[in-house]
Formats: sequence, C-alpha cells, structure tokens
Amino acid sequence: MAVTTEQLAEEMYQMVKETMGKKNLKAGDLTKAMIAKYGEGEINKDDCKHAIRILMDSGRCVYSYFGGSFITLPHKEGSAPE
Amino acid sequence: MADEKVQTKLLDELEKGPWPSFVKEIKKARKVSPVCDDLLGQLELSYEEKVGHWKHGGIVGVMGYGGGVIGRYSDLPEKFPNVAHFHTMRINQPSGWFYTSNALRTLCDIWDRHGSGLTNMHGSTGDIVFLGTKTDELEPCFKELTEAGFDLGGSGSCMRTPSACVGKARCEWACYDTMKMCNDITHQYQDELHRPPFPYKFKFKFSGCPNDCVASIARADLSVIGTWKDDIQQNDAEVAAYAAKGLDVQDDVCGRCPTKCMKWDGKKLTINNRECVRCMHCINAMPKALAPGKERGATLLIGAKAPIVQGALLSSVLVPFVPADELMDTIKELISRVWDFWDEYGKNRERVGELIQRVGMGNFLDAIGLDPVPEMITAPRDNPYIYFKDEA
Amino acid sequence: MAAEPVKRITDIGPPNFEKFLHPVIKKNYGLWKYHDNLAPGVLCHVAESGDKIFTVRAASPRLLSTTTIRQFADLAEKYCGGYLRFTSRNNVEFLLDNQANIEPLKKELLALGFPVGGTNNAISNIVHTQGWVHCHSSATDASGIVKSVMDALCDRFTHEDLPAKLRIALACCLNMCGAVHCSDIAILGVHRKPPKIKHDILPKVCEVPTLIASCPTGAIRPATVDGKQSVEVVEEQCMFCANCYTVCPAMPLNDPENDGISIWVGGKVSNARSAPKFSKLAIPFIPNEPPRWPGVVDAVVNIVEVYAKNAKKFERMGEWIERIGWPKFFELTGIPFTKYHIDDFRLAGTTYARSTHIRF
Repeated sequence: MAVTTEQLAEEMYQMVKETMGKKNLKAGDLTKAMIAKYGEGEINKDDCKHAIRILMDSGRCVYSYFGGSFITLPHKEGSAPE
Repeated sequence: MADEKVQTKLLDELEKGPWPSFVKEIKKARKVSPVCDDLLGQLELSYEEKVGHWKHGGIVGVMGYGGGVIGRYSDLPEKFPNVAHFHTMRINQPSGWFYTSNALRTLCDIWDRHGSGLTNMHGSTGDIVFLGTKTDELEPCFKELTEAGFDLGGSGSCMRTPSACVGKARCEWACYDTMKMCNDITHQYQDELHRPPFPYKFKFKFSGCPNDCVASIARADLSVIGTWKDDIQQNDAEVAAYAAKGLDVQDDVCGRCPTKCMKWDGKKLTINNRECVRCMHCINAMPKALAPGKERGATLLIGAKAPIVQGALLSSVLVPFVPADELMDTIKELISRVWDFWDEYGKNRERVGELIQRVGMGNFLDAIGLDPVPEMITAPRDNPYIYFKDEA
Repeated sequence: MAAEPVKRITDIGPPNFEKFLHPVIKKNYGLWKYHDNLAPGVLCHVAESGDKIFTVRAASPRLLSTTTIRQFADLAEKYCGGYLRFTSRNNVEFLLDNQANIEPLKKELLALGFPVGGTNNAISNIVHTQGWVHCHSSATDASGIVKSVMDALCDRFTHEDLPAKLRIALACCLNMCGAVHCSDIAILGVHRKPPKIKHDILPKVCEVPTLIASCPTGAIRPATVDGKQSVEVVEEQCMFCANCYTVCPAMPLNDPENDGISIWVGGKVSNARSAPKFSKLAIPFIPNEPPRWPGVVDAVVNIVEVYAKNAKKFERMGEWIERIGWPKFFELTGIPFTKYHIDDFRLAGTTYARSTHIRF
C-alpha cells in the first residue's frame, strides 16, 4: 500500500475541511476520491473504511444527517441552523 | 415540577374510550421525568393549532456512530424548556421481539435514569425506541445499554436494523430460521449499521413464509421470504375433519386457490403441486391438515420501498429459491455485489430499487453476475425498444 | 468531549434472542406441528412432541411508559415465568405453558385497560408513525387518530368476525415510516400547499444542488432572491411530497388549514391467494380535526362496515374490491369519485381501464 491508513484519514479530513459549506460529502464520495487518487491496485474500499473509522473514533469528523448521512467537521450542537 | 397542572383539555378527550390511551401513558411517565409535562403542553398546543412543533433533525449521536439517535428539538424552547432537546434513541431489538421480564426491567431502569420514561415498543423498522432525552444523556445512556448487552439500531444512510418474524420459535410454517438469520446478519454487518456508508438506507426483513408477517415485500430492500420446493404436506384425515366441522373445502379452499391446482371430491383433496404457487391460502385455512413441504428455503427479492422519492415499489424476485442451509452464504455473497454496484452508481437518496428502475434490471443483473430467469417477471416486455448490445 | 480513557463498548449488536425464549419454545424450536385459535387473542401452538405453548395477545398504544412496561413484566412473571414478546403490529404477547393461567391473565389485562384480541379475522393493532408527538415533518397527528379510530373499532379487535384479516396502518406524511402503502386501509397525512421558502436562511442551511435534485418532478429551480442565492418552486409541478423539506429545513410545507388526511384501501403484503398489492386512493382529503378526528373515524368505520357486510369469506379488502369492481366500491361506500382518483404520475396509464369489461 502506497499510503498508510493514517495518511488516508488525513487526506480525507482535508477534503472534508475544504468542501465544508460548499458540498456535503458522503462516505462513498471520500472512498471514490481516494481510490481515484491512489489507484485501485494500491488501496481498496476497506482501507478507506478504516480511515473513516479513524476520523470518527478520534472525533475529528462526525456524521451529520440531512435526508442522507454525510461526513462533516464537528459543529456546535443544536437543531438545524436558522 | 414547574407546572404540574398543565392544561390538556383537548388531549384529555383521548383518555376516553376502550382502546389503550397514549395520553394516559405520557401522564404516567410524569412520575419519571418532568419533561412529560412539557411534552403534554406542546402536544396540547399542536392539538389547538393543528400543526407540529418539532424542528428539523439536527445532528447528534454517540461518539463514532453515524446513526441510532434522531435529533429532535422543540420550536418553542422558551415555552417548553424541558423538551428543548427531545432526542430519540433507537435500540436494536432482539430477533422476533422476545424478552424476559428482567430484560424489560433493565431497559426501563436505564431509560428512567437517562430519559423521559417514554418508549415505543416498537418503532416501524423494529427497534426499541427510547423517546425523548437530552444530548448530555446520550453517552451515559449508551454506556449503560452496552454494559447491559444492548446496542443502538440504525438511522441515516446505513444498513437499517433488520427484523424478522417469529419464525421457528413459534410457527409451524417457518421455512428457514428467520430469527437466527436476522441476528447473524445484524452482527455480520455492524459497521454498515453504525457508520452510514451507503447512498441511502438499506433494509433487510426476514419472513418465514409467503404470509410475510414483517411486510418484507413492501418494505425491505432485500426481502427474504421463506418458501418450499416439494409437495405440500397433507393429512387427509385432518382435511376430512375440517370438512366435517363445516369448512367448505370446495368453495373456500379449492375455489380460492389462485392456480386452481386442487380438487375436492367430497372425501379427498388432490393437489397438483407442480401448478401450486405456494400462496399459503389452503395451509392458512387448514393449519392442522396442510403444511409447507419439507424441501424448505427462501425466495430472495429486491427493491421494495415507500414512495419517497420516485414512487413506491414492491420487491421483485432476484433468486427464486435458495435452500435453507445455503441461505446465509448466498445472501452474504449477493449483498456484497449489490452494495458494490449501488455504492458505485447510486445517487444520493436513491434506494436500490430506484437504481434498478433507472439502469434497468437486465443491466443490474449483469453487474451483480446473476443470470436472468423467467421467475423474475410476470411477463416478458411488451415493447420493442430493445437495447441490443454488440455481441461478437 | 474529553478523550475517554476507558475503552467504550461498541458494535456488540443486539442480544442473542435465545436467552429470551420460553423453555417450551427453546425445546420445540423449529418443531411446531400446527396451531389452534382458542378464542380471539388466544393461540395454542402444538409441537411434534405434543408440548403446547399458549399465547395471549393484547392491544398496546405502542407509545408505552416504563410504568406500563413494568406492569407487563409483572404479569409475565405472575403467569408465564417472565416470558413475553411484542408483535410486528405493536401488540404485546404473553407466552404461557399453563392453560389454566389464560383466563386470570386476560382478566388482569382487561382490568388494566388492555383489550385481548387481534388474531385471525379480527382487526389487528394499527401500525403508525410519530405524528405531533415526535416528528418534524408530520402533516397530521398519529397516536390521536389511531386512538380515536380504534376506540370505534375496538369490538372488531376483540371479535374475529370479519371475512378475512384487516390491516390498518397510519403514516403522518408521505415518508411513510410504516408499510401503509400495502394495507387494507391506509390513513395517510398529506400536504396541499407548496413549500414556503425561507429565503433568508436557505443559503446557510441548505446545499442548493442537493435541494434541486431532491424534487421528483423537477419543480425546484435556482433563483436569486434579494441578491442572495436561493431557489424557486414551479408551483404547478409541485405534488406536495415534501422531499425538499427532508433535505432542506428552509422549505417547510406545514399548513394548519391545508394539511390533512387521505384514505387508501385494498393493499396487502401477504401472498395468500392474490399477489401483494398497493393500497389505492379512496378519499383524497379529510381535514385535520383534533382531538377526536370524527371525519377520519367515520370514513374508516364506513369502509370497514361495508366490507364486512359485502365481502365473501377469506376475501381481503382488495380482493373484494377487485371482484365487485371499483365503481361498485364507490357506490356501496358512498365515497365520491373525483379526478384526484385518476393517476397522473409516472406510468399513470397502468391504472386506466383498457378493456370493455364493465359491470353494469
């Protein structure tokens, strides 16, 4: 594997950070982006799954829900902003 | 309690009558938690104004999970501060909804410590629903639940909590072990349940026979419905006994058979099992006399859903028959291919059934490596618009 | 939240059901021979071994306090060794190995206000959604309507005198978190006005491309309102599904006077006799009438009574209607037929009459 799971997690984190407020990303979007970048022979879906798990378990990212589940940065708790 | 005498003039009307009253239940839970007063207050207001007072979702949960908690907030937090937060927790039910009194007491004790004392037994998907708590209580409640051997169910774009009919536990018609299958699938896919990886929700429902007591064909993305391949088991003496007790075997059994595959000569019932479509009617009508055959298994069907977004769908046949002992392996193998395809091509909020409608069943079958068989359709296409492929 | 030193327990899944099974059930798991219906709400399952397990089924409002659940636990301990379960339609079932305990248990359940029934050709409990008790997108209440309808139909729960099973379900909006689209009678909350767009907050809380893509009819278009990026709704194309509201809180459809209830009939999920089928529209709109919902109660009771009087033995609602034809259904029930009954969504033509098979 060309990259470590930790590196994948870091890259995913940067992607989430950059698109925050512009586009909501799903787990599948991050996975597709990483596989496109490193190539199918280098990393697979399971690697990406583990990377997402690292982001979640460390609290760096959280799941959000608006008619679908997205991965975002942690935010102030509360209802939908108004 | 700030306002013990919260006025519930309209809701009080719903304490009258013979059917058990949910208003009485909320009032009973006042002892547990003062939030119930504000819940009653807000609900009374909804009854006056004919409009709900809950705000859109929001984002709360327990650490690391992407589902299992539904955020809920009052749109009148100043007026009803105790329900400013009123989140739901979904707790994964044991297969078949069986409990001991001790297990129920454990759940009640945990919920009294951390929430409103109100539940749904159960939610529509099958989970135990803990109705109403504050964000700060989520982690402590989750900790106590897991220590007691319970875990959260699903919400969002994940594998939703699977459910099963009572199956072999208390039904002679179960053609495979629905409760074990449900339990095993749920444990097999814990990651997919707790960390939403999909374009939208995905539901499994396990029914033991074509009566489909968990509405699998209407509600599950993968419907697993028990059936059999050999002949209906038949006890002629018991058939005669039903007739003697007044059942009109000709009209009410043979006459209602969808393929008219059975004959009654006044003494003996003759079934042409090759023409039987295994609908269950005759077996339902005479449970002592008839039973599903011995070569049992299940039909796998795919794609059911309620109307949102593109319209309601019933599941359609994917694999006509899988023997019971091959069911687990077949489902695991198929589902990984289905999920791979859906991950790759599914749009946000597109259920698997809608994806199949969009790309065509033929292409879907190609993608998951299944051969088309005529059991999948009610009739071949009746239009000539065929997408022929170059086949060298 | 501070990092937790203690290892959190996660991903353990549900407890294994085996530890919750009555010993008679455990012993005869997969070895049941047949069952008998001893009385409404009382079943007896007989195993190959000759062992018997008795089931007493009682109604529940689904929304249960822990106080009531503990009462159920007390009863289970008193009469059935602590073993009980719930059904897919939210009834509670007590599992007994001693037949002599059935009557005393029934008596106690009735005294506590929980009718016994719901088996065989009775109306079972209404499966339903959260409504105003707990949902943000409901077009009507759920629990209050269920309570009012079942008060009127309680005798049909405690007696098994219908031609066949009759399954009623309620969903408080088109999201339908319940199988209402395949029920003998479905009660469905509907909106009738397009979303009132909150342009001031929309750009902050919603992702516009996702919002536009959410509309099944393509009625939502990007627009600039007061110099800010927002959307507009082509109102003629809106069929009030509220999918936009699900993805964007700035698109509320709630409207006290225009929200209400529609009634659908003739669906089923069982494969018995005829194939599973969707419920079809019977009544397009009944206003919300809290607290006792007389319009809905009357409509449902009327349909049930007409069905009970006219259907043949073993005919589900949909099978009865297919036999007599929809014109006769509307005539017998007295429900007016309107243009709303004729489908105009995708594949609408599949429900048009394309033959001269007409009953006169």
